[in-house]
Amino acid sequence: MSKKPNITQSKLPLSGRIVMFFIRHVQQGMSSMGELWRSPVSSIMTMAVLGVSLSLPAALQVLVKNAENVTQSWNSAAEISLFINKGRSEQSIQSLLSRIKAFREVDTVSYISRDQALEEFQRLSGFGEALSYLDDNPLPAVVTVTPSIKYSSPTGARELLAKLEREPEVNFGRLDIEWLERLQALLKLLEKTVLAIAVLLVLAVVLVIGNTIRLAIMNRRTEIEVMKLVGATEAFIQRPFLYTGIWYGVIGGILAWLIINALVWYLDGALAELMGLYGSQLTIQSLTLTELVKLVLLASFLGWLGSYLSVRQHLRNIEPS
Amino acid sequence: MIQFEQVSKIYPGGQKALMDVNFHLRKGEMAFLTGHSGAGKSTLLKLITVIERATAGRVSINGHNIANVGPKHVPYLRRNIGMIFQNHHLLMDKSVFDNIALPLVIEGFSHGEIRKRVAGALDMVGLYGKERHLPIMLSGGEQQRVGIARAIVNKPPLLLADEPTGNLDPKLSMDILRLFETFNDSGTSVLIATHDLGLIARMKYRTFTLRQGRMLGGESSSRETMR
Repeated sequence: MSKKPNITQSKLPLSGRIVMFFIRHVQQGMSSMGELWRSPVSSIMTMAVLGVSLSLPAALQVLVKNAENVTQSWNSAAEISLFINKGRSEQSIQSLLSRIKAFREVDTVSYISRDQALEEFQRLSGFGEALSYLDDNPLPAVVTVTPSIKYSSPTGARELLAKLEREPEVNFGRLDIEWLERLQALLKLLEKTVLAIAVLLVLAVVLVIGNTIRLAIMNRRTEIEVMKLVGATEAFIQRPFLYTGIWYGVIGGILAWLIINALVWYLDGALAELMGLYGSQLTIQSLTLTELVKLVLLASFLGWLGSYLSVRQHLRNIEPS
Repeated sequence: MIQFEQVSKIYPGGQKALMDVNFHLRKGEMAFLTGHSGAGKSTLLKLITVIERATAGRVSINGHNIANVGPKHVPYLRRNIGMIFQNHHLLMDKSVFDNIALPLVIEGFSHGEIRKRVAGALDMVGLYGKERHLPIMLSGGEQQRVGIARAIVNKPPLLLADEPTGNLDPKLSMDILRLFETFNDSGTSVLIATHDLGLIARMKYRTFTLRQGRMLGGESSSRETMR
């Protein structure tokens, strides 16, 4: 014996092993799919649990997305009122207007002169008679500025306000964005809540798959022992379980997508009715194709993760004796 | 092929299964390992297949000290050892073909090659044409043959059998032993653990005897080696 044959190496040549590696992956992937069909009731139950668990975070995602969509149109409602110093001539005010109009942050500008303001105040306030006793018009002229879309966010609008207040003709300005800030804070809270719930549900998915795989491992204990006896590596033994986990995830993800679509379809009618009463048109946007792909990818990753954790913990404990 | 040098195995809990065992199974040799139940036969086989590891001493296969074989490499080591068990360890929900093909699938043989080799192995153990059967449909002797076919299908250089004839009548036992002889003829080293002394007496192979964990009479306790 010139050279001892290495007893801890595979006997096949490298190229053959690489080709067989992929073929085996496909085979084991397919056969674990077949394995799921062999016990359809329990498989479908598990997949349904996963589908429902995943549909909740996905539904919340749809909710956030649509809420953002709606509030986007409210953002531009921010308006800045500038109160002009008394005693400024009409001419200087007109020059201020043209200067402001030239700002790239500004979308539209409208001007209410002192007389117009007084007139409007008399009309709306009910103090009409009393005001006529005044010697002088106490009201300042007002310039209303609507920021361009880029500067319509609370911070952007505030920046613009500061800039406008630096104009010498401007006494002070007011920005009514408190409600907008509150709305945005509310949305942020909603988003965070959604994230927290999503994390919990995702965890549930991992645990459900982990437990399902654990049962599968226990069921096939003898088979695993025999495989170890005849020289199967851990990687070889665990692969079908990992594929099973991935299949659970994929099908659970698709199920979640179907549930979401059904939900959106169900709610869309009710929403259209509501919006009809407000004379507005708004439809719910469901998950896009990209989001479906992301959902399924995430779900299959979770499936893999769940089964990997389970396999790591339980496969090692099974040794032939 | 297999060499034990002052090997001891003490199980956790203090049970002394093997004490200072020395023996050497030569390449291409066929030998028996005997002793009463609990004498340490199974433990000795487990040390060879790294199901258990020796507490002291050195176990080597083909010159490799298997103490150096890490857990990652144990599967590759086992692929070189065909193992046959008294309760044959078959997968009852898989066909005879799938059972025998298992070592080949694990090693990554192509489908055509697997078919060819499984057919060859079935032919050798006299079960040709039963590949679609489930083990449950076969008799005890036939199940044992399936186990043997699985052990030899990837042509390992070493064959270990733990009470392979334990459940069989003398006629069937003899058939099984003849089968081992044919493998041995083609160069496979064979070690058979059995307490069926009547069976051994009719054959002229070396016999290692264990008593309470000790090897009796050193290496050549029995009849002359090699035919």
